[in-house]
Amino acid sequence: MDDSPRGLKTRLPTGTRDMDSSLRTTKIPHPQHPASSYLDIVSTLVSPKSFLLKHQRPKPQLSKAPASSRDPSPTMDKAQQPSSFQQLEKLGEGTYATVFKGRNRQTGELVALKEIHLDSEEGTPSTAIREISLMKELKHESIVSLYDVIHTENKLMLVFEYMDKDLKKYMDTRGERGQLDQATIKSFMHQLLKGIAFCHENRVLHRDLKPQNLLINKKGQLKLGDFGLARAFGIPVNTFSNEVVTLWYRAPDVLLGSRTYNTSIDIWSAGCIMAELYTGRPLFPGTTNEDQLQKIFRLMGTPSERSWPGISQLPEYKLNFHVYATQDLGLILPQIDPLGLDLLNRMLQLRPEMRISAHDALQHPWFHDLPQLQAQLQQQQQQQQQQQQQLSGYGGMVATQQAY
Amino acid sequence: MAYQKRPMSSYQPCDTFFVESYEDFPAPRMDPKEHAKLIARERQYAIADELSKVASDELRDDILSHMLDMDASTLPDVESIDIQTEIQWFMRPYLLDFLIEAHTAFQLLPSTLFLTINLLDRYCSKRVVYKRHYQLVGCAALLIAAKYGDKKDRVPTIKELKSMCCSLYDDDMFIQMEWHVLQTLGWTIGHPTVDSFLQVAVMDTPYDPEVEHMALYISEISLFHREFVSKPSSDLARASLALARCILNRPQPRHTEWASQYDSMTLVGLSQQLHQPSQVLFRKYSSVHYSRVSKILEQFLARQASIASYTPPSPPSDVNTESKPYEGEVGLATPQKAPHPSNMPHGYITPPITPENDAFVNGGNASFVKGVAGTSACSPSPTPPPSVPYVDSQAYSQNASFSQGQQFLQPQMSFSTGY
Repeated sequence: MDDSPRGLKTRLPTGTRDMDSSLRTTKIPHPQHPASSYLDIVSTLVSPKSFLLKHQRPKPQLSKAPASSRDPSPTMDKAQQPSSFQQLEKLGEGTYATVFKGRNRQTGELVALKEIHLDSEEGTPSTAIREISLMKELKHESIVSLYDVIHTENKLMLVFEYMDKDLKKYMDTRGERGQLDQATIKSFMHQLLKGIAFCHENRVLHRDLKPQNLLINKKGQLKLGDFGLARAFGIPVNTFSNEVVTLWYRAPDVLLGSRTYNTSIDIWSAGCIMAELYTGRPLFPGTTNEDQLQKIFRLMGTPSERSWPGISQLPEYKLNFHVYATQDLGLILPQIDPLGLDLLNRMLQLRPEMRISAHDALQHPWFHDLPQLQAQLQQQQQQQQQQQQQLSGYGGMVATQQAY
Repeated sequence: MAYQKRPMSSYQPCDTFFVESYEDFPAPRMDPKEHAKLIARERQYAIADELSKVASDELRDDILSHMLDMDASTLPDVESIDIQTEIQWFMRPYLLDFLIEAHTAFQLLPSTLFLTINLLDRYCSKRVVYKRHYQLVGCAALLIAAKYGDKKDRVPTIKELKSMCCSLYDDDMFIQMEWHVLQTLGWTIGHPTVDSFLQVAVMDTPYDPEVEHMALYISEISLFHREFVSKPSSDLARASLALARCILNRPQPRHTEWASQYDSMTLVGLSQQLHQPSQVLFRKYSSVHYSRVSKILEQFLARQASIASYTPPSPPSDVNTESKPYEGEVGLATPQKAPHPSNMPHGYITPPITPENDAFVNGGNASFVKGVAGTSACSPSPTPPPSVPYVDSQAYSQNASFSQGQQFLQPQMSFSTGY
């Protein structure tokens, strides 16, 4: 090895010349690429045909996009420069990323730009690797679409479909003291469970469901965002770290130290969110692990070896847990109807194996009247939208978003 | 002072209990601490099973079909790797040894190793790689795989990787190569690994660590061979599992439909690569932690070899009794026994009595077929494939080894029928 290690910097691009292009002498030009010679060079460098075929993503549905414009680079290569997007105001700041509103300079389409600063020491963060690779597998109407990944020298920019606000903000601005109406709650819960079901069918646990990570757009669509904590699971489940899910939405089995949790942890979070949709307040706003468990037990009753065989083997189980009787959830959620209460109770089962699955929850009779309600809802929303447009245009709508 | 001896040594007067006793008892004994660990692990498995009951009953089909889709879409392309100008197949086993040692040193998850090799091969299917960067690509693949699947505190740091490579590469070269791999693969990292399919395949059977470790060992051996590089992980997992059960003399249980359908050609292919495993792999799997399966396999192969060298002079009547399980039509073909095992075509697992035509498939091996749900794919001695490329073993394993392999693999059939 006589080469100085520096060799990579200068030689990597030539050394790693695309093999496919050397194999196939005829190169089919991307139909939507302009005749810019620069782009042609780049695409011959790094866009093998197989690559294009495998990573088709839905084209942005923007009707006014002129025919000449190209869609956000389908190859996730260097052709897509950060400058292709006009960076607008900051939407929020997460633990490892900052989210901006952005506009595609060619199409005018609004997007959300999640900027991840690259640790110069350790390269691409694991959260980004998991988030991007999992979101590429998960294409669903109830999951925020990832359009593109742009890699520059010191940052990684994820281009997401634009959503107007997160559920937290939505509740703050929309409902009376955060409470939402029945029809909206049902529609949101249905979409939430559809998104969860899709994740689980594709062996992905979200592991961080909370109102801040659910995004709402003007059409009343709810989508799952922020897959930074998500991960693929196997069958049977592997053991995972129990440092997951924001405390308030963390399932009791995880709080008790179980490391073999599975899809049921996302269902617990969904149950907490459902209650919050009714009250406008978090159901179990604990401050510590112990406090969180106590708040849960106070409402759901303290489990015992009798009601939950095997519980005493969990690492955080204490014999001196204060014993509470099970309360009726209906008392603190006076607005909820009996069917809704039934579903909520099935989601908030202390024992993970008793918790309803997302698939079964979607079949619950509570959702039977959803189509009628949705028709009503659409009417309402149209009216509201008109009102809002008359009032302020888009200006007043901007909300903080952290959830991409 | 025999009464002071631990139960383990009481079986053998010899105090070097490493030189041992596999012949006497099939499962190697372990000290109480390891045993407790194993029990704890088993219990954890049981809890996990219980917990995932709801999830798996409902989701298994969906998840499995998603895994199979992902498996098919994340396969490396051997033919592209063939045309690499600088890196050659004979170099790959050296890199794999290095990666396996690194993987073990960092105590990463089993799936991380399979994922690493998948990322490496997929990158090499898409990019021309210089010889001097081959190890760097391997390290970047390991880094990505660990970040994808392992706990944060287990992920190797670039400093550690650098020192493992004897500072051959600079820090920023790792970072650059990492993202070049990510970009080349379009960030599609979620390749379902062989071990994840193994877990699915064994989930309906009682926990048998020896079988699982043996299957894992066989799958890792397969990583070294070109012929398996483009094989779907799901095929490798099922064939490895079936072969592991043959070797350990376990019945092939009939569980889920998917798990019982393995490809016999893959199984035969795997069985031919067992004789000369990488020494790094052999060491890894000789630990108690892995039920010492590499030693079990070695002894099994040695036993087979001794049977094989014994078989030729054996009288035809022997063979006839052996052929009893087969149905008449096949039995008629018995006299055509080859006098020398080395005359067997390609050294496939074929007992002396196996006819050279497809008739065997109809006859079948009764006890073997039982577990395999009627697919003729189960026969452990099918007709050989037209040609099997051995290109990969040029430098790493000498060609001489093939004649050896022929010998001890030959009688395997009689072994698997023998219970």
